Amino acid sequence: MEKDIREDIAWAKINGDVLKSLETPRPLYWVILLVALAMFGVGLGCEIYQYNIGMGVANLNNPHVWGLYIATFIFWIGMSHSGTLLSAILHLMHADWRKPIYRFAEAMTTFSLMTAGLFVMVHLGRLWQFYYAVPYPNERWTWPNFQSPLLWDAMAIFTYLSSSVIFLYVGMIPDLAIARDNIHSGWRKKLYTLLALGWEGTDRQWRNFRVTYLTVACFLIPLAVSVHSIVASDFAMSQQPGWHVTSFPPYFVAGALYSGCAAIITLFIILRYVFKFEEYMTMPILRKVVRLTFAIAMVWTYLNLIEYASVWYSHDEAAKAVLIQKATGPYAPFWWMMNFCGSVVPLLMMVKRFQTNIPMMFAVSLLLNLGMWLERWMIVSPTFSHGYYPWTWDHFQWPSLVQWGMVFGSFGWFTLLFMVFCKVFPSVSMYEVKEMVYHRSLALKNNELAEKGAH
Amino acid sequence: MSVSNMLENWKNFRHMHPVDDAPHAEYKWAMSIDLDACTGCNACTVACYAENNLPVVGKDKFNAGQQMHWMRIERYWDEDKRDFPDQGAQFLPMMCQHCEAAPCETVCPAGATNHTADGLNSQVYNRCIGSRYCSANCPFKVRYFNWYDYPTTDNVWPAEMTEQLNPDVTVRGKGVMEKCTFCVQRLERAKNNARTEGRLVKDGEVQTACQQACPTNAISFGNLVEPESKVAKQWAHQQVELAREGQAKDEQEGGSKLRGYRIFEELRAYPSVMYLERVRESAI
Amino acid sequence: MIENGINRRDFLKVMGWGGAAVALAGCGNTSVQDGKEIVTSYASLDLPEYAIPGISVYFNSTCAQCDAGCNIAGRVREGRVLKLEGNPASPINRGKTCGLGQAGVQAHYNPDRVRQPLLRTGGKTEELAWDKAFALINEKVGGAKGNEVAFLTGGLSGHAKVLFTNYMDALGSKSHYVYEAVAPSVVRAANKKAYGVEMPRLHIDKARVVVSFGADFLGAWVSPVHFSQQYAQFRKGSNGQRGVLVQIESKMTLTGANADRWLAVRPGTEGIVALGVIHALGEAGMSLPADVAALSKAYDAERVSKDTGVSAEQIKKLATLLKERTPSLVIAGSAAEGYAHGSQNAAAIALLNRVLGNIGKTIDAPATVPFPQVAVETGKRSALEALSGSMAGGAVKVLFTYAANPVYSAPAALKFKENLGKVPFKVAFAHFMDETAQEADLVLPLDSAMEEWGTVVPEYMPETAQLNIRQPLMERLHTETRGVGDIMLALLKQSRPNDYKDFDDFYAYLRNAILKNKAALGGAGTDDDTFWMETLSKGIAPMGTAMGKLAATPAASGLSLPAPAEADSAYPLRLIPYVTPNLRDGRHANQPWLQESPDPLTTIVWDTWVEMHPSTAAKLGVVEGDIVEVSSRSGTVQAQAYIFPGIHPDAISMPLGNGHTSMGRWANGVGVNTFALLDQVVDKDTGELALNETQVKVSKTGKRVIVVKDEGFAGGSQAGKKIAVRTSTDKVELTGEV
Ligand SMILES: Nc1nc2c(c(=O)[nH]1)N[C@H]1C(S)=C(S)[C@@H](COP(=O)(O)OP(=O)(O)OC[C@H]3O[C@@H](n4cnc5c(=O)[nH]c(N)nc54)[C@H](O)[C@@H]3O)O[C@H]1N2
Ligand SMILES: Nc1nc2c(c(=O)[nH]1)N[C@H]1C(S)=C(S)[C@@H](COP(=O)(O)OP(=O)(O)OC[C@H]3O[C@@H](n4cnc5c(=O)[nH]c(N)nc54)[C@H](O)[C@@H]3O)O[C@H]1N2
Ligand code: SF4
Ligand code: SF4
Ligand code: SF4
Ligand code: SF4
Ligand code: SF4
Repeated sequence: MEKDIREDIAWAKINGDVLKSLETPRPLYWVILLVALAMFGVGLGCEIYQYNIGMGVANLNNPHVWGLYIATFIFWIGMSHSGTLLSAILHLMHADWRKPIYRFAEAMTTFSLMTAGLFVMVHLGRLWQFYYAVPYPNERWTWPNFQSPLLWDAMAIFTYLSSSVIFLYVGMIPDLAIARDNIHSGWRKKLYTLLALGWEGTDRQWRNFRVTYLTVACFLIPLAVSVHSIVASDFAMSQQPGWHVTSFPPYFVAGALYSGCAAIITLFIILRYVFKFEEYMTMPILRKVVRLTFAIAMVWTYLNLIEYASVWYSHDEAAKAVLIQKATGPYAPFWWMMNFCGSVVPLLMMVKRFQTNIPMMFAVSLLLNLGMWLERWMIVSPTFSHGYYPWTWDHFQWPSLVQWGMVFGSFGWFTLLFMVFCKVFPSVSMYEVKEMVYHRSLALKNNELAEKGAH
Repeated sequence: MSVSNMLENWKNFRHMHPVDDAPHAEYKWAMSIDLDACTGCNACTVACYAENNLPVVGKDKFNAGQQMHWMRIERYWDEDKRDFPDQGAQFLPMMCQHCEAAPCETVCPAGATNHTADGLNSQVYNRCIGSRYCSANCPFKVRYFNWYDYPTTDNVWPAEMTEQLNPDVTVRGKGVMEKCTFCVQRLERAKNNARTEGRLVKDGEVQTACQQACPTNAISFGNLVEPESKVAKQWAHQQVELAREGQAKDEQEGGSKLRGYRIFEELRAYPSVMYLERVRESAI
Repeated sequence: MIENGINRRDFLKVMGWGGAAVALAGCGNTSVQDGKEIVTSYASLDLPEYAIPGISVYFNSTCAQCDAGCNIAGRVREGRVLKLEGNPASPINRGKTCGLGQAGVQAHYNPDRVRQPLLRTGGKTEELAWDKAFALINEKVGGAKGNEVAFLTGGLSGHAKVLFTNYMDALGSKSHYVYEAVAPSVVRAANKKAYGVEMPRLHIDKARVVVSFGADFLGAWVSPVHFSQQYAQFRKGSNGQRGVLVQIESKMTLTGANADRWLAVRPGTEGIVALGVIHALGEAGMSLPADVAALSKAYDAERVSKDTGVSAEQIKKLATLLKERTPSLVIAGSAAEGYAHGSQNAAAIALLNRVLGNIGKTIDAPATVPFPQVAVETGKRSALEALSGSMAGGAVKVLFTYAANPVYSAPAALKFKENLGKVPFKVAFAHFMDETAQEADLVLPLDSAMEEWGTVVPEYMPETAQLNIRQPLMERLHTETRGVGDIMLALLKQSRPNDYKDFDDFYAYLRNAILKNKAALGGAGTDDDTFWMETLSKGIAPMGTAMGKLAATPAASGLSLPAPAEADSAYPLRLIPYVTPNLRDGRHANQPWLQESPDPLTTIVWDTWVEMHPSTAAKLGVVEGDIVEVSSRSGTVQAQAYIFPGIHPDAISMPLGNGHTSMGRWANGVGVNTFALLDQVVDKDTGELALNETQVKVSKTGKRVIVVKDEGFAGGSQAGKKIAVRTSTDKVELTGEV
């Protein structure tokens, strides 16, 4: 079996390789950054326009009141689960192959949450009053409505976001110290000095660090599960056909992990290429991620089929009508594409040969994410176009360019944040890679010793 | 902003609907609409525009599905594929049903849409953040969102047209949700007048604008708590009860010779609007 | 109400603009964000004691949106009229209004109103002072003789009519053309012949069966709010016996949509159906008068069915029902009268009432108006033909137009606009720069109905004769508009200064005229001021209790119905213009509530459409939204198709009222003008334009639009859900219902 990582990488080389990614960027970096900025600009322009004129420019209507903003919001929330899965869950499970790749996954978590948050904002008719939906001290003694899943959403996202930022930061402290010690001047020096919190790697610091990290990890896991369950509740707690489905919370969480993993594959491949991280982001690790993704894809497929089956066998005619509508109505192409991308495309991941075929896995990961984005859209929109009340059925609503523009822009925004992060913070965890290399070499030595002993 | 205050408010704000733990004391506004009398003439719709400062959105926005009529008249045809609709059309005036357990209320994050003590589904424009969750969860789709800033939109209220605006009713700006209020401004005025005189509002003392205009008196409106009110008597005669899903009528074999019903009763939103079935002569 | 003789105008003046400013600020028409508000303190307004800020005062007046003349109460607050409500004391509308009536405030506050007298010379428009305008008119009428000064008005009544008449007398002119584009003028003439009165009182509420031949009495016919009230009673019935409505027409009207049985009849064969029913009644054992029996002998059910498309079974069923349930009422409406033999159709239908013994029971004589000078003079379509002819011949030197828009509504064959151009001086009394005002040399801006004084005698009075009061509900919005009464008075003062010198304004004239007849108007014994205040307060003055008599009986003699018309191969379809409850003849097309209020049957807004039966559409390969070209011998228009089950396959229908080129921001360019298609075919007996006689052909243009309507994707389907539920009389017990 191939090795997840070479056990003979020198620690200095690890430092060097990773810190190199913080150095003056290559032109390719700037190109990506500029493209991301331009995409973000498009989204921003759309929002400014929408803010000034009114939500009508999104071409939403009564009763089709939600559209791509909510769909994309769920999509990005889903994305955020990857980081938690890799850093927290796999950390607890002692799956040490996660170590070279969890840092950027965690950054993904944070940034996709920030992106998701933007969609809540741009969706609001009066975003300047968004704080009415959160409990804040005010002289009128008014509280928000604690019964509303949307309020739980707001609170869950805030909590999850702040916890993710803490988790990301805490896990980075030893690396920030390395950066501090290796960079000798400029704003970076000041920044790393400040952020490293005087880390010196003393035994006591390490012990406190481990406890803290573990605690935050433990705290984060239920949060991640709850945040998407709550997003699922936005739908499941409603009374609308196609939405009030009991299995929505696990279904949403599975979908979230699924899209998160797919995104990890995408970013894995990009970072490996852009920052020349071949030593750390190795094929065996990719294979592991691919296998994990495949497993989750099958869980998602199962839950998806459960949903169809339970709708079909229930006597909820309205829900059934929505399902039929999805498969045959104006959304049919998207709905079929979602099923294809979500359940058929991942079958490719079963083939061993493909698991480390970079171009193919890159394409597959993108298709999976397309499928997952479509899944969210197919949850949100068809219910509006064919709800309980026939008089208001609306099969003609189509998102305007303003909506598409903001969806497009959100990818720019996410990339922008991510690219900046990669240049400012080590996107591979140096100290953990060292641990990994160290453990592996220890194991190797033990093995060798054992072999020798056997002779 | 104390927690005890919150808990106290909560008790008033959310109780078991419909009315289990806190039955309506003085008022429960309710309506009944006789579909046999309703001719589909639209007078009620226009009256509602006049009373409630509804914006006229114009053809393009109407086409985009952004019309703002709180009261809409639906027109249905028989679906048995006869050559001609020889029993006419069926008209249905549809506006907020003021559900006693309103699906729109529970989901509003800001608490901008609430139940009032007298059984209205209220809409607090200033509190609304425009999340549109309420509309998403309304089974009847009678909530209308301000997709644009109509007061500043060309030709919505140009020049002198603003003078017609009812000062008792707010003109809504962009980004808030609105819907039929049962003409709450009229109810409040009537209640205030009655309170000043130390009594309750009398039956017939207050009319909604749609009811007032309706040339066939198809719409009745009043206080369900007051057993002598016309609405209460109508509901009682039709054996329609606020807090039940599925009425006596549905349970009797072979029909009950009654014609009162509420739409989507099975969803248990407990609407405050009872409809009376349209009738057609069987001898012709 | 107002107890003393405060000058209302002064009060309104105080309230008008100051109040408006406060209201503007208070009503929240400033954005939440910018926070800009104008604040005017109430303390700065010197209010009469009865005017309390924030409390509405109601002034009774009369709706001006159609000729039904409903009594309304204007809700006035801080000097602004906010809303029109029905006057509960009215025998006509009993506190109710229709949607069109509700929109009356939008006629008043309309930003496109004419605000200044305008002189238009050679394409140039200049504003003019009133005295100059009057002087100019004086000069022009001075240069014309007698009948060379012509007047084209809509239906007229009350004291404005008196002044019109007096002015014409002063000029020695008899050229008064009273024109209405969609009035039931054939039915009136036929009624006159059949019953001796033009518009008998109909007791729908007392009938147990109503058979209506296309009378859209719930929608746009004669006095719809009144009839809707009666209809509600009729449906409730007495002793749980619910009234049965059968509507026979080629295009489903709102009334048709509410019928227990809607019968699609081949266009033009309504009279044949009526005779067929009479025949079937005879068969069923009812004794028929000899002349009627002779006439109806040939109309056996099978033949009638073949001619009209109404099944023999239905005819027999209808006859049985009519025989069993009495009294009944048969009404002839626009479906019957719109043909070259429209009068004959109406006469045949009247005969049915005679056979059924309804006359005197559900059909009654109307009240007599004791002052013929104020009685209503209803409009006719034939007036236009006569006027157009004399204009063409150069016989008209000065033309006054008021409450009529013939340039928009005249059939093309009359070449009305062209002939109008031959009139050297045209004066238009106008609210809007409509198509006719556009052609005028002098445009005089009118007060809105919420600003002017006047009296109205309704076209249809359900009880005794009544004089409706129209009074200002607020101060003028624009200082330079005038009430039509004031204008006529000013003109009379030029011709007969001595007769009118006592009257400062029309208000003074009106007050005097009413007080002079105090005793006859129910004010015997009260002093002038009290009576005047009471009259204004009630908004209705009774004009005695005298009722007319039905002076004739429908007769079979002279009645002959043509065989059903064969389809014209070049123009195979018949156009049935639809008078919609919202827009009627189009004069209110610039009221946005009406444009946005969906047509009840198609739910279409802001446009004109072409209704066709699914089978017709299938034959033509047309689907909803196809832009089709509709051509008649007189004109061609293009409009969207709407597939509509409630229409006879031989016909298509298009609504009237839209397609304005000049009216205002909400009307211009909306839809097409259906009047432009009408052929100049007239009813043989009355010379009235036969509205349903236009033959058309329809072709696809290849263009398609989305029909803008309230009805959604599911169309008129309830998708199997229990939403609008219907039951039948054998399954309900109506007695005991509250
Ligand atoms: N002239 C004058 N103007 C003033 C003031 C003054 O002293 N004098 N005071 C100013 C001050 S301090 C204030 S706070 C404002 C208050 O001004 P507004 O906010 O206009 O207050 P109200 O007139 O009390 O209430 C407005 C309307 O809300 C309706 N309403 C009641 N419950 C509901 C509900 O649940 N939903 C909806 N949609 N409507 C409801 C009522 O019927 C009423 O018509 O006025 C300001 N303007
Ligand atoms: N019945 C009833 N009660 C109500 C309300 C209601 O709708 N109905 N509305 C409630 C609401 S929303 C409000 S905001 C309150 C308002 O209640 P208050 O605050 O009592 O309001 P006012 O009576 O308008 O004004 C208070 C005093 O301030 C004085 N004043 C004006 N300008 C100045 C200044 O520059 N300096 C000083 N020192 N004094 C000044 C005025 O002369 C007046 O005597 O009423 C509440 N109470
Ligand atoms: S009808 Fe809709 S908006 Fe009205 S109370 Fe019920 S759920 Fe809410
Ligand atoms: S749109 Fe307004 S009322 Fe509706 S749920 Fe959102 S905040 Fe509440
Ligand atoms: S009750 Fe009032 S707000 Fe509701 S539809 Fe009628 S007129 Fe409109
Ligand atoms: S006004 Fe009355 S009759 Fe007309 S549509 Fe409304 S409810 Fe029906
Ligand atoms: S029927 Fe005519 S007069 Fe009566 S309210 Fe309607 S528009 Fe006005």
